[in-house]
Amino acid sequence: MRDVLSRVLEEAVQKFGAEYAEARAQNISKTMLTVKEKRVEAAREGIENGVALRVLVSGAWGFASVGSFEAEMLRDAISQACKMAKAASEKLKNPIKIVRGKAIEDRVTVKPKKNPSEVPIEDKVKTMLEIAKTVLKFDGRVKSCTVDYLDLVGTSLFLNSEGTYIEQDKLYVWSRVLATARENDIYTFSREEVGSTAGYEIFDVETPLKVGEMVAKRAVNQLKAKTPKGGTFPAVLGPNVVGVFVHEAFGHLAEADLTLSGSVLMDKLGEKVASDVVTIYDDGTIEGAFGSYKYDDEGIPAQKTLLVKDGVVVGLMHNRETAYKFNVQPTGNARAEDFRVEPIIRMRNTFMAPGDYTFEELAEDIKFGYYFKSFRGGQANLDGTFQVGIQEGYEIVKGEVGEPVRNASISGNTLETLHKVDAVGKDFELWPGRCGKGQTAFVCDGGPHVRVWEVLVGGGA
Amino acid sequence: MAALKEEEVLSLAEFAAKSALKKGADEAEAFAYEGLTTTVAIERGQIAKSSRIVDRGLGIRTIVNKAVGFSYTNILTDKAAIEKTVSKAVKSARASKPDKDWQGLPSKKPFPEVKGGFDKAICELSPDDLVKAASVMLEACEKTDKRVFPIEGGVGASYLSRAVVNSNGVAGFDHGTIIECSLATVAQESGEVTPVCFEFNAERLYKIDPEWVGVEAAKQAASALKAKRVETKPTKVVLAHFALQQLLYYTLMEAIKADCVQRNQSALQGKVGEKVASEIVTIHDDGLMNEGLRTWKFDGEGVPQQKTVIIEKGTLRGFIYDSYTAKKEGKESTGNAFRAGYLSTPRIEATNLRFAPGKKTPEELVGEIDEGLLVYSVQGAHSSNPASGEFSVVATPAWKIKNGKIAHAVKGAMLAGNIFEALKNVSALANNERKIGQLVAPWIVVENVKVIGK
Repeated sequence: MRDVLSRVLEEAVQKFGAEYAEARAQNISKTMLTVKEKRVEAAREGIENGVALRVLVSGAWGFASVGSFEAEMLRDAISQACKMAKAASEKLKNPIKIVRGKAIEDRVTVKPKKNPSEVPIEDKVKTMLEIAKTVLKFDGRVKSCTVDYLDLVGTSLFLNSEGTYIEQDKLYVWSRVLATARENDIYTFSREEVGSTAGYEIFDVETPLKVGEMVAKRAVNQLKAKTPKGGTFPAVLGPNVVGVFVHEAFGHLAEADLTLSGSVLMDKLGEKVASDVVTIYDDGTIEGAFGSYKYDDEGIPAQKTLLVKDGVVVGLMHNRETAYKFNVQPTGNARAEDFRVEPIIRMRNTFMAPGDYTFEELAEDIKFGYYFKSFRGGQANLDGTFQVGIQEGYEIVKGEVGEPVRNASISGNTLETLHKVDAVGKDFELWPGRCGKGQTAFVCDGGPHVRVWEVLVGGGA
Repeated sequence: MAALKEEEVLSLAEFAAKSALKKGADEAEAFAYEGLTTTVAIERGQIAKSSRIVDRGLGIRTIVNKAVGFSYTNILTDKAAIEKTVSKAVKSARASKPDKDWQGLPSKKPFPEVKGGFDKAICELSPDDLVKAASVMLEACEKTDKRVFPIEGGVGASYLSRAVVNSNGVAGFDHGTIIECSLATVAQESGEVTPVCFEFNAERLYKIDPEWVGVEAAKQAASALKAKRVETKPTKVVLAHFALQQLLYYTLMEAIKADCVQRNQSALQGKVGEKVASEIVTIHDDGLMNEGLRTWKFDGEGVPQQKTVIIEKGTLRGFIYDSYTAKKEGKESTGNAFRAGYLSTPRIEATNLRFAPGKKTPEELVGEIDEGLLVYSVQGAHSSNPASGEFSVVATPAWKIKNGKIAHAVKGAMLAGNIFEALKNVSALANNERKIGQLVAPWIVVENVKVIGK
């Protein structure tokens, strides 16, 4: 395989004049399950083999993807990619340049305690059914439960015209549990995800009992929840909500492609965008975390990237192209979901660093406000407008956590809100999730509990 | 790379289905898919890349003792690889659990004729043609307003084919084309950045208008500048196409799925025959719509697509079904089994969910409003509660309407409510029907939406 791909890249450079060329070959097996209540909808297994070829010709990118390892198909694809690049370069105003790297040669293996490819599918079925059973028997008002499971095991080869050759094992285990509860006309909904790059042993920690009860309990508790008041209030955000805030509201703005597109961070580099207590990282090196890997899909080593230090923006997340524009080194954030798509700048494990407050200290000064513990979706815009939906929230009355509230969401301007973070907790949690930016990426986000002295709360109906 | 021929695809699918029966499956179904896509992408103000993606594969569903197994492969050139995939599908069925409600794969029915799904002209477009279209769009945008920056977009042309063969004698092949062009923009002026604005065209036939897309994307962003906050109060809201699509996708489009209804997850459960929307709301799922983005002869399990009434003058008439959920109720499938290519088993999805338009022009619609909001798009619709229909989103971009005119852009306004209440409060419809993903709808006016401004 290595020889075939090297020759194809050579052809790109020599025959078509490519300034840079790379090949990514993927050999992946997936197992998927969906359980609805007590029913296994379908046990699914599949193979996805293919190659992505990317070239830089005359300052424009060309890309071709084929589901084949055959030499002839690959030669055809590289010539297509080069022609595509040539066509795209016709109207180019500013030729694309990229940061060049040294040749790397490496073989990255994973050593799971329990390799999902060696766990019989019967066992996976049993575990997912157990989760569903736990959820359903928790309370009669729980009406439905859907459990999805995915594991992905395989190898990815990366070669480029700089002489880099990386062979990297891929391993992901993921599960999502959804439940609905109903009492009279009130419907509630609860969701949780489990994700790991370590191995199937994640279910020994995130046991069916633990995950199932967490999801079911939330759905049931929400039945007696009230509608939040709409308006501006102080709030304590839990690690799960801080994580999605840091990811959605801030992180996307600090993806250098989006920064260049005009995100509000563009003219803020080196400036204060948050209160002194805020420090934010995007870290690809946390062992076993859902967003970790050794090399990105441009062959750049992953790293721990400091984005905000004591309230000041000190870094962005880069690929080779944006790094060139900013005259910095790439940060290893270029990721492609599979061989069908090209790598783009994505987050890894994004979090706010902990401070020194206890939860009680964060809540004690709040006369009336909210404790937002767990999120349901979030989204940001380049202008810094963010929205985070809340699936578990409570009132805070005179410093104490009070009654639950349902279907709240918080919104505002990211930078204004970051300035309003006035205290940061000393605890820390990371939560696995999936991020969509045209492609899906597995990530984690998290942080400690934090207090925001003012945030806009959107009430329910 | 040339597309696979009808005979080739059908014979591969037949081979797979037969092989599954030989390996001990009680029933088998093969779904073959091919997608050939060429795109030209705009990034930060210029055309900077182009790609060609060939994706083809075969998904095999097998049933052994009422347990369902599935396997897929993207290697079609090698019969041994297909047989291996078939064996895996049989093995996964054996590893799975029997489903007492399983009543068999669909049986053979005649396929309808559909119009306007395939255009040879799209297959013949070269990368240069797409570059030309993209640059027309880009230039139109730049000429329209200097404050506007086209951040991303592009032009893409696809050829898609699908075939279903099952052990009940279903055997079908269909192919089609899609072409789209889109442009996302922001405008910047004296330190203010607008939210991302977006315009697009997507068609089955080669009749996109890149120039119009470029001009509109620019106008939209320019008019989103100088945004002000609005007051917190119940407000008359005009939901434009995108906003309506986003709000319905995670709520109504879930609630009408027979699967959600049967599993007690739908707020519409038990409400057939009841008033669930205002008198002027009529919604069909139309799998046969001329030039519809989701129009095909048959669905993901080989059932003919059809037109199904969902809401008629405000009254709920029915839901959308696949074969499994239909058989469970002793009904016929409505042809709504959706396949995401060859990678998955079918699931229920709307085809072209068509919200019947009204008679007023959008200008007339806005002209009749003394005070209200025009919302183009919302942020955070995916955080809606799919079971109850409750939503809490940010309106971006949005404009304040005063005395029948657009007064100014609005920032930071949240909309909160319940989509099923909102449907009851629809008071007017425009005549500007348009296709967005699964939705085909005009602008609609909703009374009394809770707007949280400051």
